[in-house]
Amino acid sequence: MIRFLRAYLRRHAYALRVTVSQLLRAPLSTLMTIGVIGITLALPTGLYLLIANLERMSAGLDAGGQISLFLKRDVPESAAQRLAERIARMRAVERVEYISREQALAEFKRLSGFGEALNLLDRNPLPSVITVYPTRTSRPEAVEALLRDLRAIDAVESAQLDLDWVRRLHALLALGERVVLILAGLLGLAVLLTVGNTVRLAILNRREEIEVMKLMGGTNAFIRRPFLYSGVLQGLLGAAAAWLVIALVLALLEGPIAELAALYGSDARIQGLSPGATGYLLGAGALLGWLGSRISVGRHLRSIEPN
Amino acid sequence: MIEFSHVFKRYPGEYDALKDLNFKIERGEMVFVTGHSGAGKTTLLKLISAIERPTRGQALVNGRNVGRLAPRRVPYFRRDIGIVFQNYRLLFDRSVYDNVALPLVVAGLEPREIGKRVRAALDKVGLLSKERLNPIVLSGGEQQRVGIARAIVHRPSLLLADEPTGNLDIVLSEDILDLFLDFNAHGVTVVIATHDQRLIRRAGKRMLVLKHGELVHDSLGPADILQ
Repeated sequence: MIRFLRAYLRRHAYALRVTVSQLLRAPLSTLMTIGVIGITLALPTGLYLLIANLERMSAGLDAGGQISLFLKRDVPESAAQRLAERIARMRAVERVEYISREQALAEFKRLSGFGEALNLLDRNPLPSVITVYPTRTSRPEAVEALLRDLRAIDAVESAQLDLDWVRRLHALLALGERVVLILAGLLGLAVLLTVGNTVRLAILNRREEIEVMKLMGGTNAFIRRPFLYSGVLQGLLGAAAAWLVIALVLALLEGPIAELAALYGSDARIQGLSPGATGYLLGAGALLGWLGSRISVGRHLRSIEPN
Repeated sequence: MIEFSHVFKRYPGEYDALKDLNFKIERGEMVFVTGHSGAGKTTLLKLISAIERPTRGQALVNGRNVGRLAPRRVPYFRRDIGIVFQNYRLLFDRSVYDNVALPLVVAGLEPREIGKRVRAALDKVGLLSKERLNPIVLSGGEQQRVGIARAIVHRPSLLLADEPTGNLDIVLSEDILDLFLDFNAHGVTVVIATHDQRLIRRAGKRMLVLKHGELVHDSLGPADILQ
């Protein structure tokens, strides 16, 4: 048993040695294959990273959204305040914020820069606004119901749920995730074909060697092994190259993204691949490499028999 | 060691390469197979090494029926056979040592054991000093000796050679023949396909003569079957 195991390990060590020396013997074509696999894998990985970051940044936004109530202009100030207090006591409401017509005008003057021009108006064109924050635990349907109730109030001119864009963003992100999956599938297939073709050429190049080994009593498993190893190795190195490409791109984008985030008053930073995601990437590369060479070797090795 | 009874070999869409072959080679024998080009010498060796299978009849080699050998058993069947080729079939991407080591590596021997046996085989053919060279720099005679070292390094009980001296001059051919005679003296069964009559006469061993795929003469049996 021990003897058998040792012979087995020896044959694997031999296969690995043969594989590495063969990959090193043609460094340019090896590097090219690894580069192609790297770029192919970097595409879906980068897109995944983009989506993951957008999701992370938008995670704080979907806390139920907020409802803006624009009151009729003829509602007196005192009634408006009482209404605000009443709404604040409603179920599903976390808190309210009341902005009187005067506050609204002052804020508008300050922010718009039209201050002087607005002085020319003989009366305040802005309505008073009650901003309603639903409780964070509210489900979308509860928020919708709240919106209906608020709309039904006499003094309310219109009510607007500022949730729509959050929803649209989430729908977009879901679509993005789907696109990443499809792209990953297609490009995974591309990796499979790349490795398969590389291994096919390697097999054809080494036809004589394969025939001689078969004549010397080499089993198919023995002859197949270096090709499988080279597939796995190229897939693994390709995935590592993809990781490098991503890291490089992130490094190039880091400055501009920080600047953009600062303009939006945020200190959001893009996050690179987590160790877990890196593990998945390397695993996927190795698996695709193995599968690609397995398919190719199975097809082409059988056709090579000494004669 | 080898027993053929009513063996036919027909390649798809062709004539019969071998017709109704009957002969027996005992363990430890040395036999020459001769005849014109296309007489079936090479096909005969291919049947013995399970590269081809008989279309009809029974070919027993080393106690195994070649026609019924499962494909996955073929590698193990061949590990007890050494094959020498006319064009040597050496691999030029590795050293002489690695070429000779191939049958042992394939069988999964320990590196230490491999080293001992490879050097013994190279010593036998007189090329121990060239183990590190690439075989491409060697002369034809030396390359064939590497091929022979590779064929005997795993101590097969049967040694096959297809026109082993086909590309060599007379002096080199006699050196090669001496090697085969020596292996045979040590108990290895040797079958050599050649049209070199001088070599056969010099060896003074049994001879099978093929003509158009038929066995027309066996120097062991009663004189010319044909007559």
